Amino acid sequence: MLFIELFIQGLIQGSTYAIIAVGLTLIYGLLRVLHVAHAGLFTLGAYLGVVLTNQTGSLSLGILLAALISGIVGMAIYRLVYEPMLSKPPYVALIASIGLYIGMEEIFRLVFGPFGMSFSSAPLQDIVVFFGIHLRTCQIITVVTNVVLLGILAWIAQRTRIGTGWRATVDDPQMSACFGINPIKVRYMVFFTGSALAAVAGVMVALLTNIVEPTMGAVPSYKSLAIIVLGGLGNVFGTLIASLVLGILEAFGTIYIGDLLDRDAIAFAFLIIVLMIKPTGIFTSR
Amino acid sequence: MGLYEISLATGVGIYIILAVSLNMITGYCGQISLGHAAFYGIGAYTVALLSKIGWPIYLTLGAGFLAAGIIGTIVGLTSLRVREDFLAIVTMGVAFLFVGIVRQQEFLGGEMGISGIPSHGMSKLAYLGLVLFFAVLSILFSWYVKRSWMGFAFDAVADDEDTAKVLGLDVKAYKLTAFAMGTAMAGLAGGLYAYYTRFIIPDTFGFIESITILSMVAVGGIGSIFGVVFATILLVLMPEFFRFINDYKLLLYGVLLFSVMRFAPEGLSGFFKLLVRRKDG
Amino acid sequence: MIKKLMLLFVVFCVSLYFGTVWAGDTIKIGFNAPLTGFAASDGKSSTFGAKLAVKQINEKGGVNGKMLELVVYDDQAKASQSIPISNKMIGQDKVVVGISGSYSGPTRSAAGIFQESNIPYISAYAIHPDITKAGDYVFRTSFLGEVQGRAGAKLIGDILGKKKVVMITLKNDFGKSLAAGFKEKAKDFGITIINEYEYSIKDRQFGAIVAKVKSDRPDAIYASGYYFTAGPLVSQLRASGITVPVIGQEGYDSQKFIEIAGKAAEGVIITTSLDRDSDVPETADFIKNFEALAGYKADMVAASAHTAVKVAALAIQKAKSTDPGKIRAAIAAISLKTATGTIEFNNLGEVLKDIQNQVVKNGEWHHHSVISDPTLLAPPEK
Repeated sequence: MLFIELFIQGLIQGSTYAIIAVGLTLIYGLLRVLHVAHAGLFTLGAYLGVVLTNQTGSLSLGILLAALISGIVGMAIYRLVYEPMLSKPPYVALIASIGLYIGMEEIFRLVFGPFGMSFSSAPLQDIVVFFGIHLRTCQIITVVTNVVLLGILAWIAQRTRIGTGWRATVDDPQMSACFGINPIKVRYMVFFTGSALAAVAGVMVALLTNIVEPTMGAVPSYKSLAIIVLGGLGNVFGTLIASLVLGILEAFGTIYIGDLLDRDAIAFAFLIIVLMIKPTGIFTSR
Repeated sequence: MGLYEISLATGVGIYIILAVSLNMITGYCGQISLGHAAFYGIGAYTVALLSKIGWPIYLTLGAGFLAAGIIGTIVGLTSLRVREDFLAIVTMGVAFLFVGIVRQQEFLGGEMGISGIPSHGMSKLAYLGLVLFFAVLSILFSWYVKRSWMGFAFDAVADDEDTAKVLGLDVKAYKLTAFAMGTAMAGLAGGLYAYYTRFIIPDTFGFIESITILSMVAVGGIGSIFGVVFATILLVLMPEFFRFINDYKLLLYGVLLFSVMRFAPEGLSGFFKLLVRRKDG
Repeated sequence: MIKKLMLLFVVFCVSLYFGTVWAGDTIKIGFNAPLTGFAASDGKSSTFGAKLAVKQINEKGGVNGKMLELVVYDDQAKASQSIPISNKMIGQDKVVVGISGSYSGPTRSAAGIFQESNIPYISAYAIHPDITKAGDYVFRTSFLGEVQGRAGAKLIGDILGKKKVVMITLKNDFGKSLAAGFKEKAKDFGITIINEYEYSIKDRQFGAIVAKVKSDRPDAIYASGYYFTAGPLVSQLRASGITVPVIGQEGYDSQKFIEIAGKAAEGVIITTSLDRDSDVPETADFIKNFEALAGYKADMVAASAHTAVKVAALAIQKAKSTDPGKIRAAIAAISLKTATGTIEFNNLGEVLKDIQNQVVKNGEWHHHSVISDPTLLAPPEK
């Protein structure tokens, strides 16, 4: 019984990681950039979601607007930060992204205060009981959202023109340009999608914990970086699996090897062990 | 020189050693390490534990230097198996693992850290002298390596690994050497830090600290010793100068990092080169 | 042109540097707190608490005929920052007393420096035992973690009569020292600790621990944390169907905890030093005036900082001088009623005062009970 509960908790946690990591892996697949500031969009989404829901009373509106605004901010980040740096060595974009993330954290603190923000009346907290396990609606919604969003993403990638265009651009930007696919458009789209997803993840976490803080993006962002390596850089399906596996590992690890290792370190221990065995990751990159 | 100035300068000296040592790994061999603070920590903990059981300072510092270098070599061996993109994340993992493991071990002080580290036995001024001595030593050593045949090899590896291999350079060996030297120096800095604060906790040596050191190297200009030293002094002293705008200093720091990368990715060294060129032209 | 700009910049920096050195005719008290970084919320509160105390003292005419000036520095909760800050406070600002409104890491390092320079240093709420061991110039106005942990054992085992306890411990010096104190006295009150789980200060989702705790079926849960971890934790515990009492400590002591946990906060009991229902004038007065100054309800760190400043000010008054040695002696001999209890120090610089237990009722903190057992709460002597 306990094991099933732990497993379910792992899935919930893993789902939040997956929604964040997918955006990161899409961006990496496209630009070979470690977009650390992605975590800032996660936090932005959480703040916007809470503020808008508190103001309008509607969670759906809150999530929608949060995703939209974060998506636009994400595109702006691409244009202002990464586009000018594409020709430079990778550490340039990495450090710029880190600087940007620090700046975003600070702006959140200055604007919203350091105390953490909560929903005035948190939605989706009703409890559903099945087979003796108590789950809050928001927990179920998180997993469902994860599956649905990523499912849609996978479908777009495989079955639509846009998706094919994206995959082609990742594989070979020059060739795909020859075929009339606009790489710039693809980039904007990817940044929009990834950032919107991060925002949604942010709102999910806000529902789960009811506290939104300026620094909340840090830990998920570190773990996402480990996840995208494990999942294969650019590989959406791999990232999903890696996220869920990590969530489950953390759930069991916290209880059973908590004496040995910090929860946050589990992600990286897992990563390093895997890379020792198979240096290209569990799944290969796309 | 007042106590305040001495303590500031000591802090700067320790960071110079850290930045210069990371510069050797990242700048010379092109390997992005996001876990440098872990080796800083290994040095600090080694020195803290040994000094508490009575070892004298010159032995403890040596031990810290070696311990960090040895573990650095082991970590370096992993870096051989993975390339660029993975390396950054793997080293990030090292940063988290170090903190994650140390905080769980009671004999390392766990969360409480290690306090009551014995004094170095010198006056504050004399200790500053020691720290600066090591800082200068590390700068000279870096400079020597850069100018030597090893430096040329490092350059080649940083520029283009595959070509370097084709040319017969034992890429793996050079990468490993860079790692070993850089991490050993970081360990030395850690030891000096332990005597400076006399109280260490695991969180000090985490990922954020690694990023802080990396940003000193990046702002200075990866590979440039002079630039890195200058950037370190600037970034360490900046919080001091900007105390009056307390609330905004982290924001300023983030903006600075971002701006330098965006507008002058060669870092300060590139900026100075530009100035020099302007004067001539 | 660039040369001119650089010169201007240097002049600007130098003048700023010297500008901060210029002193008016005030008595300076140094205060280090985390104003930025992850602990910024506690830094903000403790600074407000300290500022309120200074304001109140100055309104009554100051100390020894001069106004008090609070010199505040941001240490980001880091030891590496607190060292130059302490040196600056002592060397340049010439503070007569230092107060820490910060966490244990920076406080511990700063204490060493103040001790070496023979300037009194008071830790408002940092709980690491080694802080006061730095020497006779260092004092602490709040409880040691261990002491509070022991009180928790009495609260659960004796006052509430619960015997099977699960511990959820925050993995830092605060949580660990509380756990140590609790475990030390658990048997004395008939408590069996079924299990202990640890979590990190960055955790906000406790699904796994909650699931495991539920399967342990305890009579009570002793959980350490700060409002930003305890809030989510308690909320998630209740949501999973756990109904047994949850007992916390002063880390929860803030209205934010109740805001975050909502209805789940009802009935949570904590060991702390601020009694909201107190009719002791110092306490009631502080609570009212704090909310007027800061715009939000008082919390423990604010109250602790307020207490520390009051102690410092009275000591300077009694010493009738700014000589640090005399001030130190005055602090050591002091007996002052403050918002957080009567402050008297033992040889180590630790206090012995009552533990106020508070419970959440109708969305607010209220009086629950008091623990005044001098043997139980006795701090270490050396």
